[in-house]
Amino acid sequence: MTYSMKKIVPSLFTIAAGIILAGCASAGVRNPSGVPVTRMGADEQGFVAGTGVESQDLVNVTDKMARSILSIPQIANAQGTPRVVLDPVKNNTRFPINKDMFLTRIRVELNSQARGKVLFLARERMAALEHERDLKQSGAVTSSSDPRAVEFKGADFFLTGQLDSLTSRTSAGTSDYVLYTFQLIDARTSDIVWEDKAEVKKQGLEDAAYR
Amino acid sequence: MKLSTGLGLAGAILLAGCATPKKYTFAPTGDPLADGRTAIAQGPPQDKVLWEYRTAAVCMRRAQFAEAKSLLDDALLTLGGINGKDSGAKKARGYFHEESKKTFIGEPYERVMAYYYRGILYWMDGEPDNARACFRSGQLIDSDTENKQYAADYVLLDYLDGFATVKLAGDGSDALKRAQTEARLGPPPAYNPKANTLVFLEFGRGPGKYAAGEYGEQLRFREGSAATRGAVVQAGSQNVRVGPYDDVSFQATTRGGRVMDHILGNKAVFKSSTDIAGNAALLGGVVAASNRRTQEIGLGLVAAGVLTKIISSATTPAADVRAWDNLPQYLSFAALELPPGEQTVTVQFVDASGRPLPNGVRQAKIQVVPGHDTVLFFSDQAS
Repeated sequence: MTYSMKKIVPSLFTIAAGIILAGCASAGVRNPSGVPVTRMGADEQGFVAGTGVESQDLVNVTDKMARSILSIPQIANAQGTPRVVLDPVKNNTRFPINKDMFLTRIRVELNSQARGKVLFLARERMAALEHERDLKQSGAVTSSSDPRAVEFKGADFFLTGQLDSLTSRTSAGTSDYVLYTFQLIDARTSDIVWEDKAEVKKQGLEDAAYR
Repeated sequence: MKLSTGLGLAGAILLAGCATPKKYTFAPTGDPLADGRTAIAQGPPQDKVLWEYRTAAVCMRRAQFAEAKSLLDDALLTLGGINGKDSGAKKARGYFHEESKKTFIGEPYERVMAYYYRGILYWMDGEPDNARACFRSGQLIDSDTENKQYAADYVLLDYLDGFATVKLAGDGSDALKRAQTEARLGPPPAYNPKANTLVFLEFGRGPGKYAAGEYGEQLRFREGSAATRGAVVQAGSQNVRVGPYDDVSFQATTRGGRVMDHILGNKAVFKSSTDIAGNAALLGGVVAASNRRTQEIGLGLVAAGVLTKIISSATTPAADVRAWDNLPQYLSFAALELPPGEQTVTVQFVDASGRPLPNGVRQAKIQVVPGHDTVLFFSDQAS
């Protein structure tokens, strides 16, 4: 190969490599690779959007709620042991979720931390419990106490909650704010004896290939 | 370096990204449900969501709602996880990978329908709040249109959002107002809070996709069609005539351009430019090489021309035309208030003149339970 060819050929390959590697069909597209989801404080100004309720939200929110409930006088200084029934959480967000998990986790946290200061009533099991009572009353099974006595406890409080969300969507991405609110309601007077909240804001942007 | 070695090396570099893909082959049985299950299990990973969508639609029409739920949950999990880096999507944006290599999640109208079907299933399970969440997510997906006139304009998504809110003892009037304002095919009625039997209906075959442009870089939609233009829902003493509220083909075609269209346009320009440059280099090189004084330069130009032609040939601007091709053309809905106990609900699909269509009768026996909504789903398509 002559001297000029020795110079030309490598140059051609370099140019070709430059065309292949440096060029990008995504030229002119903003954030072509998308932007990973970032967690933000609820009071921060965001730029993009969207993700939903995730496990870390569930853990953080329910931890906060459980600690908060234990400190109220109606629980901390209660005469006797208050009984609590879980009332289903309302989902007003745009995310379909297993909303029962929130109250379930709060209940588990309270049961493990409260050391008997508060008891929960298994109202979701009433059908099975009543069936068992009926069996005892009919003599079909044994009973360690008088099966005719009404021993199912009434609720002193209802624990319930609500999830609300605000969503924004632009070409820059999607932003979701979720407000979690929980209440403890006096079953006798309907007083809201305790209420607390948690809020999470997230934003994200999908890859340009999906826009 | 020898010229032949250099060309071989260049070819190897270019073609390394075009290694023969794994072939997925399975023999179709003709049963869309069986074939769908096989495709999900054995097909290319990037097509899994597409097959989940298609198979879920078949399951809905065959009243196999548990399986539809499972398929849609998995598909929506993928759909919900598309934020941030995605290697398949990144490749699809590159010059030498087709758009169809990215994980399929569908165009917005397809994603909306996945949420719509899942919302119906949540309501069937007695979770109107989660159903409403799905309808809201669907409306959000439709909100990013090129022409804002068509943003978030699904009538049923707003209507059902409001209806679910009414069922949850809330105020659905804003959503009802939006639905009635957006209605093009006929306004939905005011809510009956006591309605306890919800009938979801769909008619016809929905839109398809095809590629246009010199290199197939332009995604276009083929409108669907439907002989069915309405239905008569009969239960007890009630006879309710309903028409379509949403047109899926309209939604597909009014979303406007995609960001990906811009990328594919760039790819097409690159392909065309390199092709033209390659031709010029080859022609010039051959002419130059025929003259002994310029032979070396000529051979160099020929080499460059070949390389450029290889690059052009390897560039893939073709649009992704994978489509959820068994969607309906029209969506409709009716809400009835029925007394408790066993009831028979009959749906007769009709044409635009109101004439009953052959094979257009569907029926279901239900048990109406106080305090609980019974949700039914009927399609004029078998699968």
